[in-house]
Amino acid sequence: MIKRLAALVLLTFVSSSLLFAQTDWIRTGTGLGVEKVRLAVPDFKAAGNDAQTAPLLTVFNETLWNDLDNAGIFELVSKSFYPLSVPGTPPELQLAAWSNPPVNASMIAFGNFGVSGSDVAMQGWLYDVRNTGSPMVLGKQYRDPASPANARLQAHRFADEIIFRLGGGINGIAESKVYFISSRSGHKEVWQMDYDGAAQTQLTHLSSIASLSPRVSPDNTRVIFSTYAKRGLELVMYSLELGRMVSFPAYNGTNISPAWSPDGSKIAFSSSMHGHSEIYMADSAGANPKRLTVSSGHPDSSPAWNPKTGAQIAFVSGRTGLPQIYIMDADGTNVQRMTDTGYAVSPSWSPNGQLLAFAWRRSYGPGAPGSQDIYLMDVTTRQWVQLTHDSGTNDFPSWSPDGRHIVYESKQGGRSQIWSMLADGAKQHALTTSGENSQPNWSWK
Amino acid sequence: MRLSEMEPGNNIYLEREPWGGFLTWSAGLHVALFGSIIIYSAIIGSRHGENWGSTEFGDAMSATLVSRAPVPLPAPAEQTQNLVANESKGLTESQPKAVEQQPEALPIPDRNAKKKPEQRTSPEKPRTPPPEDNRVPFGQGGPVSGPYGVFTANNAKGGFSFTGAAGDFGSQFGWYVDVVRRKVSENWMKYEIDPTISSSSRRVYIVFDIMSSGEPTNVQIEQSSGVPSLDQSAIRALQRIDSFGPLPGGYRGSKVSVEFWFDYKR
Repeated sequence: MIKRLAALVLLTFVSSSLLFAQTDWIRTGTGLGVEKVRLAVPDFKAAGNDAQTAPLLTVFNETLWNDLDNAGIFELVSKSFYPLSVPGTPPELQLAAWSNPPVNASMIAFGNFGVSGSDVAMQGWLYDVRNTGSPMVLGKQYRDPASPANARLQAHRFADEIIFRLGGGINGIAESKVYFISSRSGHKEVWQMDYDGAAQTQLTHLSSIASLSPRVSPDNTRVIFSTYAKRGLELVMYSLELGRMVSFPAYNGTNISPAWSPDGSKIAFSSSMHGHSEIYMADSAGANPKRLTVSSGHPDSSPAWNPKTGAQIAFVSGRTGLPQIYIMDADGTNVQRMTDTGYAVSPSWSPNGQLLAFAWRRSYGPGAPGSQDIYLMDVTTRQWVQLTHDSGTNDFPSWSPDGRHIVYESKQGGRSQIWSMLADGAKQHALTTSGENSQPNWSWK
Repeated sequence: MRLSEMEPGNNIYLEREPWGGFLTWSAGLHVALFGSIIIYSAIIGSRHGENWGSTEFGDAMSATLVSRAPVPLPAPAEQTQNLVANESKGLTESQPKAVEQQPEALPIPDRNAKKKPEQRTSPEKPRTPPPEDNRVPFGQGGPVSGPYGVFTANNAKGGFSFTGAAGDFGSQFGWYVDVVRRKVSENWMKYEIDPTISSSSRRVYIVFDIMSSGEPTNVQIEQSSGVPSLDQSAIRALQRIDSFGPLPGGYRGSKVSVEFWFDYKR
């Protein structure tokens, strides 16, 4: 009797432990086709009767739509296909109306937005309309003092949440910044703007004849750039936290094209402090400059760190005549040439470390009127692809932190402006219009 | 003499009191007590030994506390509820079973018999079988018509399914499964595959776990395609991925396991 009882108890435990050892399994597979998520984004409903609501709601809806449209991972369903009754809260949502033709969406982002008192409040949801069992993916609400800037900020935050969930854990870039040089105030100064070209503001007031190549630090606290001062082109540092210039040692010669290491502890730059232009590396305060390249007499410039590993630097060298893209280890060893022909400058390394973006004039010289375009190159295979075509002279590509966008300078007609595009060359559009704008640099986060 | 014999002191020894019954009861109860202790330690005591401190017993331990802590302890895997939804249609329509018509056996007429065989005038109507109570009828199946399915692109193909035995992650969090598929697709570099492989279609099965942070771990080849470069390209696609994004908030398990197949045909 006891034996039988013990056996029964043992059996119960074995089976229950087997039950708990089970885990959820997904079985899935792939080809190469990467289809985009079909997302419906109806205008948010106005909540409340405050007179301020309507103008802010317009700003909000426009910003949210643009953020999601520019994300590069969605196919937004045109608003003309939407049902007449647009949901503002989950009980108002009819899943079938959005999942069936003509909308055919797989996801819907909706919600309501309104001013109450001095605050602007927003409630937003993301629903999987094909999943009738548990459709909610995301629900968020924000409350901030009422202003157009905060309406934009709330739209940016909600868009970033959606992109983070559906984009595979890559943070959205809606709150990132672009730093650039603009001459619209009469002098070339460092400016900053939102990633979509909004809120363009002037940072420096140096009144120098030239400022070049602004580069923001990985922690978004400082911008280093090159400006024409007493001793020629010097590296200077601007603190975004203090809103003023901070001290940085002045080296001899011409010092240009600084680049931050991904941990923010070092700066690589090109300097002619010992005669020829070579790549140097110093710590972030400018101390202990150390020479990395040796190319006796031929210029090396434009270093760019591999942001993923921090172990490699891409740079431009004229050691074989026309400038070409090279890469080397961060200690100056293991130099490899990447481009084989033409005139290649301005390398920028993608956040995942796999691709180099650069400006290339593939046939250069008399009788070869090639245009300068933005190209991508796979670092391991050296296969390349052209991103811009027939659109003037393009230069200074800079990657977005999500690795899906590139901002660059394009001169079409008389003036150069800042443009932005997806990293496959789609959705090219200008971010600036007034004055002459150049040398953009996208923040690290 | 008699008086002395009748002394109270002597009477004590002479009287017979009924002790036997109490002694028997006492011995019996003691045996029962020790017996029950032995049984208890043999059966229930062993249970304590194996399971003390587990999350199923005792109120002092909290499962969520352990799983949230940065200690890499395996949290008890949780089963997601299978919602048999009524809105989406099932995979197949269950047709009523066709009644097999046996060819009518006519008895061979006996030569000597004078009676003719009976002629049946009307055939019996086929009876509709009673519905089986363990079958999900057409139109009331699970999320088969969800936002996923097999797809093809150029000369590469893929698809996925979910095991029925374990939980129901795929139907509850279909969007996350889509994210996983897209992300792996993006990171699969076809140029890593040996261009000289034969024209027949090859498939490699990869298994890996996704931790709650979204990080893929334990990437292994479950079944090789026979082409080392294809196997390697599939492994590398997973190695390039830092994170798929945190697992959905509504999912309380510590990880999900994924089986992913890569089809390649030149």
